[in-house]
Amino acid sequence: MRYMGKFILAASALALGASAASAAEIKVGSVAGVTGPIAELVDPIIAGRNLAAQHVNDQGGLLKGDTLKMVLSDSACDPKAGVDAGGKVVNVEQVVAVVGASCSGATNGMVQSVTIPAGVVAVSDSATAPSISELKDNDLVFRVAPSDAYQGAALAKLAYDSGVRKLAMTYSNDDYNAGIATVFEKEFAGMGGTITANQAHEPNKASYRSELSTLASGGAEGIAIFAYYGSSGIAIIRNSLENGLFDKFFAADGMFDTSVIEQIGADNLRDRISITQSASDYADSSYQAFEAAFSATGKDPKAPYAAHGYDASFLVALAIEKAGSADRSKIGAALREVANAPGEVIRPGEWKKAKELIAAGKDINYEGASGQVDFDGNGDVVGVYSVNVVGDDDKWAITLLK
Amino acid sequence: MDQFYGIFLYVISLLTMGGIYAILALGLNIQWGFTGLFNAGIAGFFAIGAYVSALLTTAPSLRHLGGYELPYIVSFAVAMAVSGIIAWGVGKVCLKLRADYLAIATIGIAEIFRLILKNETWATNGPRGVSMIPKPFESLPEPWNQLAFLGLILATVVAIYFLLETARRSPWGRVMTAIRENEKSAMAAGKDIEKFRMEAFVVGCMLMALAGAFIAHYLKFIGPNATDPMTSTFLVWVMLVVGGSANNKGAILGAFLMWAIWSASEILTSRLPDELAIRTAYIRIFLIGLALQIFLQKFPKGIFPEVRPKPERREVVTESNASR
Repeated sequence: MRYMGKFILAASALALGASAASAAEIKVGSVAGVTGPIAELVDPIIAGRNLAAQHVNDQGGLLKGDTLKMVLSDSACDPKAGVDAGGKVVNVEQVVAVVGASCSGATNGMVQSVTIPAGVVAVSDSATAPSISELKDNDLVFRVAPSDAYQGAALAKLAYDSGVRKLAMTYSNDDYNAGIATVFEKEFAGMGGTITANQAHEPNKASYRSELSTLASGGAEGIAIFAYYGSSGIAIIRNSLENGLFDKFFAADGMFDTSVIEQIGADNLRDRISITQSASDYADSSYQAFEAAFSATGKDPKAPYAAHGYDASFLVALAIEKAGSADRSKIGAALREVANAPGEVIRPGEWKKAKELIAAGKDINYEGASGQVDFDGNGDVVGVYSVNVVGDDDKWAITLLK
Repeated sequence: MDQFYGIFLYVISLLTMGGIYAILALGLNIQWGFTGLFNAGIAGFFAIGAYVSALLTTAPSLRHLGGYELPYIVSFAVAMAVSGIIAWGVGKVCLKLRADYLAIATIGIAEIFRLILKNETWATNGPRGVSMIPKPFESLPEPWNQLAFLGLILATVVAIYFLLETARRSPWGRVMTAIRENEKSAMAAGKDIEKFRMEAFVVGCMLMALAGAFIAHYLKFIGPNATDPMTSTFLVWVMLVVGGSANNKGAILGAFLMWAIWSASEILTSRLPDELAIRTAYIRIFLIGLALQIFLQKFPKGIFPEVRPKPERREVVTESNASR
């Protein structure tokens, strides 16, 4: 026990020393799966978070010139480590809010056992599990990464708007695809469409002819496919076309790959397939502002969720500024105010402008690198999706869905 | 003031996790410390306990099996019972194997359980895991809810400790040691070693399931990533070996000590500049290995070595058998 005593003493001495030495430092937890299965994805996300802090500190800092410090803690993509990491930043480091914790599982554990009971706002930049929306979170959990549920809804709307009313659907029996499929089914039926048949399939089978025959018997105008292109998607499209069962396809992002065109043939797919995919609006000036600044750090701005990491951290900083103090309890409400309309539009990097507007008592509306980041009632954002069809150059033609 | 209160809360969480690991280490101590069964599949039984208790206590959900909302006492008991029954089946197949073969077999079996739990989406929500698991005492105000939960864990650790100490000193415990030290002579003394080994294996796995159940309620979430072998099997081994194999006090001490090193070391590394902080996250894993080396150099038999009536381990077997 004496060893642990020493550890705790050392830790507390350090924590106290640090907070006493830098009174003008406002800490925000930066919890990420630094080690563990997604380690290589996390590096650019952390860089995005730190870039946001750098923008804040370079342009006048928080409140009365206080420094924003992102305190890194490792969630290892593991709920155990996520809860531990969250506890450390919230209790030992006394952070004002937390950004993170990377994986959905780690985030789920961390917010339920640490941040919600402690009354601390957590903004996730990469957890997409729909179950996080359902938590009883006292309005303390936000996400700038869209829930997987939104893509299902986006695809359903796309299909319905294209004039199709009767669809068959099939999904690969894995969690990601099954999740999107469930939402799609509900949404499409809710709009007034009819799902004539819905069947799960096992990936990596040689042929899906028998499943497709069953699905085609209901008189559907097309089929919605939720699968990964390599393990079953391409085979399903090929079997459908070969046997004349379906000639209209809707698919989610698991199907988005050039090999689909290469293997089936562009002419066979033209005007027949539409694939939704999560995307930043690369033409948007918010994204471009982020891209220019992030590229200067030598990292890839299109890396998954790097833009989300930036947005989450920048929003937390804006919320602290809006709240007028580093008071944990005020961040949640302020976060909604700075993220959502109405207000003057603030883009990535425009900290000085935002600070002046807030000081003048004006509303602001942050439009992020990853999208508009307007929080809904659950604290979720609507994702930005593109629709991909086969273009005249026999490649995917990407159009942003509005 | 906030700072001290925060550190107080952190120490509670440190002790809670340490206590849960202590239960795991005590379970392993019965198997390895007393009986010499090399179980490298702790994560599997830990996961079974966690999922069974989680599914029995959660509210209805479309994402996974369950909605039984049973009281904790029932879910803990069922989790242990399920794990015990599975352990019995595994033991029937594997316990005839010698130490290193048993280790390989149990690693494989633990992975099978974990993959089943990960892939049977209808029951467990697959990789997305089970969320919104209730936590005992969570309706109490802060910090009493956390203190009460810590109390539950520590009381369980103490209760298990006294039960195991009694068992260790009983004829049952001495037979276990005899089997560990020299199976043939134990057999020659007329002991049914298969039965005894099975008992140790089943009881140990039941304790591991109990620890799993606690962790599911503590995290309020359980998913496949929470049961990975590194933090659910190998860390437990390090804890037991550092603390002192075949000594229950050692198992408990090792668990608290290693968890404290694992967790608190990050408070120091997170103060480094960002680029370094990302790299030093890996140093924490290295620290565990380093701590193991240092402790084993200094305390070759663990911090609390095994205590037998006579210190010469070779004579212990004959001594304890002769005394009966």
